[in-house]
Amino acid sequence: MAALITHSPILIIVIPLLAAFLTPLIGMTSRKARNVLVVVSLVFVAFLVFALARDISINGIHVYTLGATSPDLSIPTGFMVPVRIILEVDGMSVFFGIIWAIVSLAAAIYSLSHIASETGQNRFFTLLLLMVTGGFGMMFTGDLFNLFVFLEIASIAGAALIAFRTKFADTQEGGFKYIVVSAIASLMVLFAIGLLYAQYNSLNIAYLAQVIQYTTLDKIALGLFLIAFAMKTGMVPLHLWFPDAYSVAPASITGMLVITSHACMYAAFRICFTLYGGVINAPVVGWIIIIFGLLTMFVGVTMAVFQKDVMRFMSYHAISQLGYMWVGVGVGLAVLGNPGLLATYGRDAMSGGIFHILNHALYKPLLFFTGGALFHYTGTRDLTKMGGLAHKMKWTTILYIIGTLSISGIPPLNGFSSKILIYESVYQFNPILTITGIIVSILTLASFTKAFHSAFMGAELPEYKEVKEVPRSMIIGMVILAAGIVFVTLFPSLIVDWIIHPAADALIDPGPYISAVTGAIP
Amino acid sequence: MTFILGSGYAFWNPLIWIIVFMLVMVLVYFFRRRGQKAYKKGTDQARIFLCGEEVPEAGERHIRVGNIYWGFFETLKEYYNLILRPHTGVINDYILWFVAVTAISVLILLIAGLAK
Repeated sequence: MAALITHSPILIIVIPLLAAFLTPLIGMTSRKARNVLVVVSLVFVAFLVFALARDISINGIHVYTLGATSPDLSIPTGFMVPVRIILEVDGMSVFFGIIWAIVSLAAAIYSLSHIASETGQNRFFTLLLLMVTGGFGMMFTGDLFNLFVFLEIASIAGAALIAFRTKFADTQEGGFKYIVVSAIASLMVLFAIGLLYAQYNSLNIAYLAQVIQYTTLDKIALGLFLIAFAMKTGMVPLHLWFPDAYSVAPASITGMLVITSHACMYAAFRICFTLYGGVINAPVVGWIIIIFGLLTMFVGVTMAVFQKDVMRFMSYHAISQLGYMWVGVGVGLAVLGNPGLLATYGRDAMSGGIFHILNHALYKPLLFFTGGALFHYTGTRDLTKMGGLAHKMKWTTILYIIGTLSISGIPPLNGFSSKILIYESVYQFNPILTITGIIVSILTLASFTKAFHSAFMGAELPEYKEVKEVPRSMIIGMVILAAGIVFVTLFPSLIVDWIIHPAADALIDPGPYISAVTGAIP
Repeated sequence: MTFILGSGYAFWNPLIWIIVFMLVMVLVYFFRRRGQKAYKKGTDQARIFLCGEEVPEAGERHIRVGNIYWGFFETLKEYYNLILRPHTGVINDYILWFVAVTAISVLILLIAGLAK
């Protein structure tokens, strides 16, 4: 078991990668065996992630050096700087790892029935597993170039999956937009990496954090990193591609795209807090993030209320909720240089923002899955054509209600726990942030009530007489996420103490992350 | 205590809320049980009454999404005209926004750096 934990950072990346290439081979002989391979590999990865999280909470940061005689030998004998590829997993990385483990498993199980009538299923699962590989790689890597590589893997697999259902024309358009936006963002990230490498001759995040000077080139690189990752998360006004791509993908993939946004948010946090943490002009960058976060919350929700397409409606809500996270963490960044304010409310604001990421990763894919369930039988995403579906789709209705109450921050659901943390902390920074947050929550509830009435309520419509509940694997996929919501609802303090505060502390104090790699440097 | 979440200002305990919610549900059930017992399902008592008018078919009487919150959208018509304008659906425009936001952000960082 100890060896398994030691090698878990690389195993978590390699297992889905191997499974991705085995999937088409096994799929040629047996569809059932392929499904078992996909699910079992993701269950094992989830087990490893939780075991790693437990170990990190006890023993601290994990450093894994590829190609070294010992995985923790980050700097080879005779060298002054880390030269090998290093994976580094701290409280922040493993927090996002837990999200990826849960949602990717739920998405894979949901997909078993959701795409059962489609052709090219082997390719679908191969791409899904590659996307999982990319996501875990982004969160566990300790160097910038590999961050770029894994971002590319996740983006290319994501674009192919958005365009997977080739029988619909809009999927091709959505996939095209996603790959163009991703390519531009990745190029900007690569350019920023080049600027840093040209100055400091290293790509290792911990080493760069130690030597970075905040030169003019560093500031340009910071701007490129921040806005490129912000565009990938769907921050307003860079969100325009987001509903076009998210609404046309299979629902399970939309759930995966939500956590890809979170992975890009992780990268932005890692850059701002760890790489630039010691030199950054925190109030300025913090305010930039807060202002964009506020815009994201408000524009996202007002656009959502307006929508008639159930998946576009949910896409705009995904954008709006991301604003809460940006605002929470932005406030923490704005007061990073002031230990008094950081202790008074900055840490709580960051914890609230990070906690909201977890909650969002549970209720948003769940809501997208219910949207996919509606599409699965009605064959339309148009809410104007729906009605009375609660009569036939009881499980979907109940799960939709759980997701709706959670996203709207209705107590006692988990969305309320993170929102109250954000509201009460950011209020002390600037009351307008809390007021906007509450207005956005009210609009969220209003719009989900509208969608609920349109799709589920009313008399049974004659055109949906033949509709029945979705297949069992789709229900299981949704129930996994709903169970997560119930667990976080009941034990908010346990979650905050175990994974949220360590994640926030890892951002506030980058010292342990840096010294875990560069500790040996004189 | 794993149920209590301290927010820095106050605390949140989901258990208290759940207990209160269940008590309310019990009260609702109690009052419902005291309702009319002579109600007969499947008779005219259960049919929709619309002032004696003919009741439309299910599909016709369902209020569709386009009719909900009409007043809200009418009041905010100018805001929506403004906010819908950038949503062109054209990828070139999306990239233009990216270039503009990146340029502004980098400029702010550089100017703030000079001031520092």
